[in-house]
Amino acid sequence: MSQEQVVLVGMGTLVERLLKGQFICKTTDEDGWRALQSGAMREKVEAYLNQINRTLASAADGEVYFCGYLQLGENERKVISSQFKDICSALIPMVEWLVLVQEASGQDAPLTEGAAIRLTELQGRIEDTPAFREQLAKLSQYRLFGSTSTQVDNQIKLVFRRLVELGYLVRPNSEKQIYLATGKLDYLYEVIRFIDETEGLQLEAQAETASSQRELI
Amino acid sequence: MSSNLHSAGVKLLKQLARHSDVVMDVYQSGEVNESQHEPGVIDKLLKAGILWQPEADQPLRLKRTIRGFLEEALSDERNRQIDANVGSAMATIKTLAEHYKEARQRVDYSAAEAYLADLNEHVYAFTESLRYAIRVLWGRINNEFGYVGTLNAKIRENELAQSQVTELLNGLEMFHFNELTELAGDNRELRRLLVTTLQDTLSSCAQELSVVQARLLELLGRFRQIRGRTRLLKGWLLHTELHPDYRPMDHVAHKQVPVLFNRAEGILAPAAVDVHNTVQEHELMELVSRIKSITHLPEIAKPQAGDTAFALTDAGEFDVPDNPLKQAVDDYFCAVIDSGVRQSALEYLQANDLPWDSENWLYQVICGYDGLSEEYRSFFELEPVGDRHPVYTGNFIIRDVELWMA
Repeated sequence: MSQEQVVLVGMGTLVERLLKGQFICKTTDEDGWRALQSGAMREKVEAYLNQINRTLASAADGEVYFCGYLQLGENERKVISSQFKDICSALIPMVEWLVLVQEASGQDAPLTEGAAIRLTELQGRIEDTPAFREQLAKLSQYRLFGSTSTQVDNQIKLVFRRLVELGYLVRPNSEKQIYLATGKLDYLYEVIRFIDETEGLQLEAQAETASSQRELI
Repeated sequence: MSSNLHSAGVKLLKQLARHSDVVMDVYQSGEVNESQHEPGVIDKLLKAGILWQPEADQPLRLKRTIRGFLEEALSDERNRQIDANVGSAMATIKTLAEHYKEARQRVDYSAAEAYLADLNEHVYAFTESLRYAIRVLWGRINNEFGYVGTLNAKIRENELAQSQVTELLNGLEMFHFNELTELAGDNRELRRLLVTTLQDTLSSCAQELSVVQARLLELLGRFRQIRGRTRLLKGWLLHTELHPDYRPMDHVAHKQVPVLFNRAEGILAPAAVDVHNTVQEHELMELVSRIKSITHLPEIAKPQAGDTAFALTDAGEFDVPDNPLKQAVDDYFCAVIDSGVRQSALEYLQANDLPWDSENWLYQVICGYDGLSEEYRSFFELEPVGDRHPVYTGNFIIRDVELWMA
């Protein structure tokens, strides 16, 4: 009895998060994500969502879950189309930001779910390097972030605030300047990969040729 | 001969111990810095075969065996040398086994014993080197090739490790146990060494190597995925730079929408009031005014402004009656003033037949005295009458107080 209740309580918040349009990953909602690893829970959630024409969807090999439409009518298509436009317009600023973070922190791997960013450290590195400062100034002016400031401090704070609002980052402790990347970033990689594969852009090959050409020079 | 060997070995080890800091310096830096060390010491180490010079104009280096010994003893992760040469070990073992068999046939027991000891040494050294190789591989896997910096270097290291595993596995395949069984024949010692020991070790090593191989592949996959993502991002930037007017195609316009893009709109949107929107001001004000009157209890209708009789008269004088105990204390003070003699508070209490408990009375008297203003207090003297606590020092038990005019 009590077990059943626990499951149901967990499911309530989970469904609520899904219906809010949030991405469920290990970083944003570890309990929910773990619950979704079990087939029985997934079935229950799916059955609940199906009643209101929703379905449980996942991306990045089950690292993130989100809510999609079960049947696509006229209205649903409109919503999806506008969401797709949103995510496409976010791609360029987000990719620039990801590359900036990766280069400024001198890491091999781009940010993925669960990775931590120490804002003060990152800010220090960006402030010390003119090239990074320029990149930040450029990307903070995109409509996604919408900064009009010329100060690195304001720019980076605004960018991070927007990223938290958009669900790409979470800030576990509001007194500390430490941010964690969420599964939505992994979703973004999936989107880029999808576009790359479907349109045959061969982005990886382009990058490889460019880097080998740089080595030759 | 054997005593000579023993003493020479001891001498070599002593030399190593005596110059251990030189050896470790060379181990860490890779080559001898001749200006740092005494030429005599370097010469000795060179003669003992601990250092060597690869080419005439090259600095001195540590001998491979010494370096290997240190790497193994210190579990140094930089060590990636793996002896995959199973073939030659196999050949040596076979040769020694033949020697041993021949010596036994010739009934030369001392020679047979020497060959057997040698064979033992070789078999165990071989199995140990195999296990060591696996340990080294695991060490590298467990820290995910942390000793090299970049992802590309990690991928290369991983590929090196994979080729080593393949070589080791190929080497193990060269062992044909039927051959060894034939060689051992019915000799108990040989069977134990060549069949039981080797077979056990080799099968467990082969198993472990296959696990190692799987882990290496998994790691390589992850490294490639990370590299793939980096390249994907870089490629995207390049592509959008080269084609500034590039827009992704409308991937959701098809009949079948990819699962990735099928994202439902949030039904439960986070709500927030826009206080800057003046159009909503009226509604907001109304909402706010309603917030105040929320009540979960049934409201009892009460007349908000009824007619109450009200007459405008002079404010009557009123008085807060004093505490009678306090008044009695005041009387006591007055009695002292009147009589002008020293008077015990308890005696006054009994004399006037006052109803209060003696302890309360004493407290009130002391309070009355302390409560006087500085000016009035100076007219009186109050002395507690009592005694010290018989057991606990510093405690004074008041039995009575006496008051008199100063």
